[in-house]
Amino acid sequence: MSTTLILLAAFLAGVATYLVTSRILSRILLGFVIYGHVVVIALLAAGGKAGEAPLADQTSAIDSSDPLPQALSLTAIVISFGLTLFMLALARASQLHTGTDLVEDDLEDKSIGLEESHG
Amino acid sequence: MFLTLLAISGLVSVIAAASRDKLGKAVFYIAATPLAAAAVVSASWLPDNLPSSQSVSWVDNAGLIFNFAPGSFQAVVSFLVAAIGALIMVYAAGYFGNDREGTGRFAAVLSLFAASMLGLVWAGNIWTLFIFWELTSITSFLLIGHKSTKPSALQSARRALVITAGGGLCLLGGLLILAEGNASTAFTSLSAPTGATGTAAVVLIITAIATKSAQFPFHIWLPGAMDAPTPVSAYLHSATMVKAGIILLALLTPTFASSETWSTAAIAIGVITMLWGAIGALRQFDAKLILAWGTVSQLGLIVTLLGLGEPKAVFAGVSLFVAHAIFKAALFMVVGEIDIRTKTRDIRELSGLAKSMPVAFFVALVSGLSMAGIPPLLGFAAKEAAVEAVLKLEGLTLWTTGAAIIFGSVLTVAYTTRLLIGVFGSSEGRSIEVAKVRLEMTAPAAVLGTASFLGYVFIDQINTLVIEASGEINSQAELYVLYRWPGITDAFLISVAVVLAGTIVGALVSRSKVSEARALGAELVDKAVDGTIRFAGKFTRVVQHGSLPIYVVVMSLVAAASTIPFWFSLEIDGLYRYDNNAQVVLAIFIGLAALVVAFTKSRLGAVLALGFVGLGMAGLFINHGAADLALTQLLVETIIVVGFVLGFSHLSSSFPPVGRIWQEIRIVVSVLVATGVGVGLVAVSSSDVNSKPVDDFFSQSVTTGGGNNVVNVILTDMRALDTLGEVVVLAVVVVGIVALSKAVKEHKTVGVER
Repeated sequence: MSTTLILLAAFLAGVATYLVTSRILSRILLGFVIYGHVVVIALLAAGGKAGEAPLADQTSAIDSSDPLPQALSLTAIVISFGLTLFMLALARASQLHTGTDLVEDDLEDKSIGLEESHG
Repeated sequence: MFLTLLAISGLVSVIAAASRDKLGKAVFYIAATPLAAAAVVSASWLPDNLPSSQSVSWVDNAGLIFNFAPGSFQAVVSFLVAAIGALIMVYAAGYFGNDREGTGRFAAVLSLFAASMLGLVWAGNIWTLFIFWELTSITSFLLIGHKSTKPSALQSARRALVITAGGGLCLLGGLLILAEGNASTAFTSLSAPTGATGTAAVVLIITAIATKSAQFPFHIWLPGAMDAPTPVSAYLHSATMVKAGIILLALLTPTFASSETWSTAAIAIGVITMLWGAIGALRQFDAKLILAWGTVSQLGLIVTLLGLGEPKAVFAGVSLFVAHAIFKAALFMVVGEIDIRTKTRDIRELSGLAKSMPVAFFVALVSGLSMAGIPPLLGFAAKEAAVEAVLKLEGLTLWTTGAAIIFGSVLTVAYTTRLLIGVFGSSEGRSIEVAKVRLEMTAPAAVLGTASFLGYVFIDQINTLVIEASGEINSQAELYVLYRWPGITDAFLISVAVVLAGTIVGALVSRSKVSEARALGAELVDKAVDGTIRFAGKFTRVVQHGSLPIYVVVMSLVAAASTIPFWFSLEIDGLYRYDNNAQVVLAIFIGLAALVVAFTKSRLGAVLALGFVGLGMAGLFINHGAADLALTQLLVETIIVVGFVLGFSHLSSSFPPVGRIWQEIRIVVSVLVATGVGVGLVAVSSSDVNSKPVDDFFSQSVTTGGGNNVVNVILTDMRALDTLGEVVVLAVVVVGIVALSKAVKEHKTVGVER
């Protein structure tokens, strides 16, 4: 496995974690996009060495890069794309509703903890 | 046959529950039917006509089988459980009388309990027994808490559940250890594990037995369980549930015959329980509580005898088991009748019932004397066997265990005398009104009372049964017999002394003022339970605080921590520096752009930097030989950047500032996650990832897929269904986005109108 790719994936995972632990909704979204990249890089790195594009008429299986992780990655890219756009719409609706870009503490969650036990 | 009987009981239970309270007390007669049938069936097994076993496979691969295979001992117990159960149902009809409230529920749970108990008795292997063991715990919890509006009943029910269910957990642990070393889990073929695991199994199983059979220090739930309606006390706390532990003790005695720990633990617990229970019984004023503490004491005696494991002691233990089930159920029934007819159970208020309730007096006298071990009653024969067993002991055991058993017998006679004098003896200046007789309560008690006498008359038949049953626990126990009249032997003389001493003690403390005993540990259990609930509240307050960033931090840390096992076995043979130089350059470019995304204060800057990250990714794909990925990435990235720009357009151009401390925590967490991902990927590299792609993909892509682009053929042909799913996901996303933006628009228009 390429150490360069491993280091890049690890670094991007760190950056993404830094972003999603933010209280700012738009930064959390940016973090999710970068998480998507981490997964794709990991798939590619696990798929073996770089090679020629897997086109059956132009190359052989020996010289080509592995097509299977590429197919998986393609799915990953498209799904994370869909997820990102949906969250974007959600964030926008939430921002317009509350007038702020910050994720406030969930009062419902808090109230569960504050409820006195009846035992 | 076993399953049929259980199924009928279950069905009756459903009918009873479904009838609500409409049937009134008639529901108890319906519930009595399957128990009566079970009693007849059990009787047909006696003596020495055991049924063939029945098995139902449950989980094949795990070797879990429902197996019913009663031996001689279980056949006797089965008859007692079923017959007393049927009588109890009749008694319950009298107990509830014309009061319909709760009858359906009560009958349903009681017959469910009876079925569980029968299943437990019939069990042929440890797991069948365990399942029914737990069922009896749950149903008894429901029965103790039957008066659901009474706080003390609920408290007692909870206490009983905590203790017996805790014991159930111990049992599970013990049985798992036991099952580990045995190919078959049938009781007849178990062998005890040795060494430390063996000791652990013994401790766990003995603990379970102690919780179920109310042995010290777990006896505290039994007095509390007296909050239950009397039919429950008479059934669960005389013949059945509290005997479950003793049944298990008996069934496993052959397995652990050579274990010192087993017998020492059983004897120690039994002796303490026997004495402590008897002392407790002397200190109570509530007749029902006197019986409850007396039961604790008697159970202790039986556990001691079985724990001794000597043939004669086992024989005596089984005899007492039978005698106790009969006389204790009868005594509880009488006390319940007194409670209903006089509205009190306090021996300080009761007086002269011998005249006003003659039948009850007769039953109580016979059963009480049987409990005290006085002829001509079954209890006498059993007690004689116990005293003889004591005389067989030698050395230190004789002077400790033996003396304790004799002393315990004196106390038994004492509390019996105190109970009988207190309830039935007349005292001046006190008269008590008695409501009219309820035949349905009197009759079952009378049947059991007579049984104590008939047991003595037909002692030869009882003898055969006890010999068979105890022979199963200790094969040499078959040598002994129950005597109708032993003659003037040492044991008999001791018995006479015991009775005399006991009567004197009992008469002395009969009405004298003694401090009322409380179950000492009970409050401790309540505190523990309340404390657990309070702790759960506090814990939830800490964990469920409502802050999203902290939730995410916790999840990230857990994810990072999950890679810790890989730390110690990292292999770097599968690693190489880079695929080509361009890869390094692109990686640095992506890394820098990502840093900008993370730390820029400008929203637009962050989005643009994200675009650069995406571009870098596309470059990386091309460099890797993944042209399709690059194309998709470019397209997706463009739309995402446009989306972000549109989505953030209404927000201020820079991010709001963040607290410094929090930012440092986030960086630490990020570094940990990055390390975790890196370690995880290095661990992946240790498996063979550098093999060449599968040739088949290339040939099949052309021949069956009809395309040269292998990645595309995989997506549209080989994994076509996955791709279809992906398209559906995108369609759902589109619908969601449209709906959300509509909601936003409506919100805006409302805002304008305001």
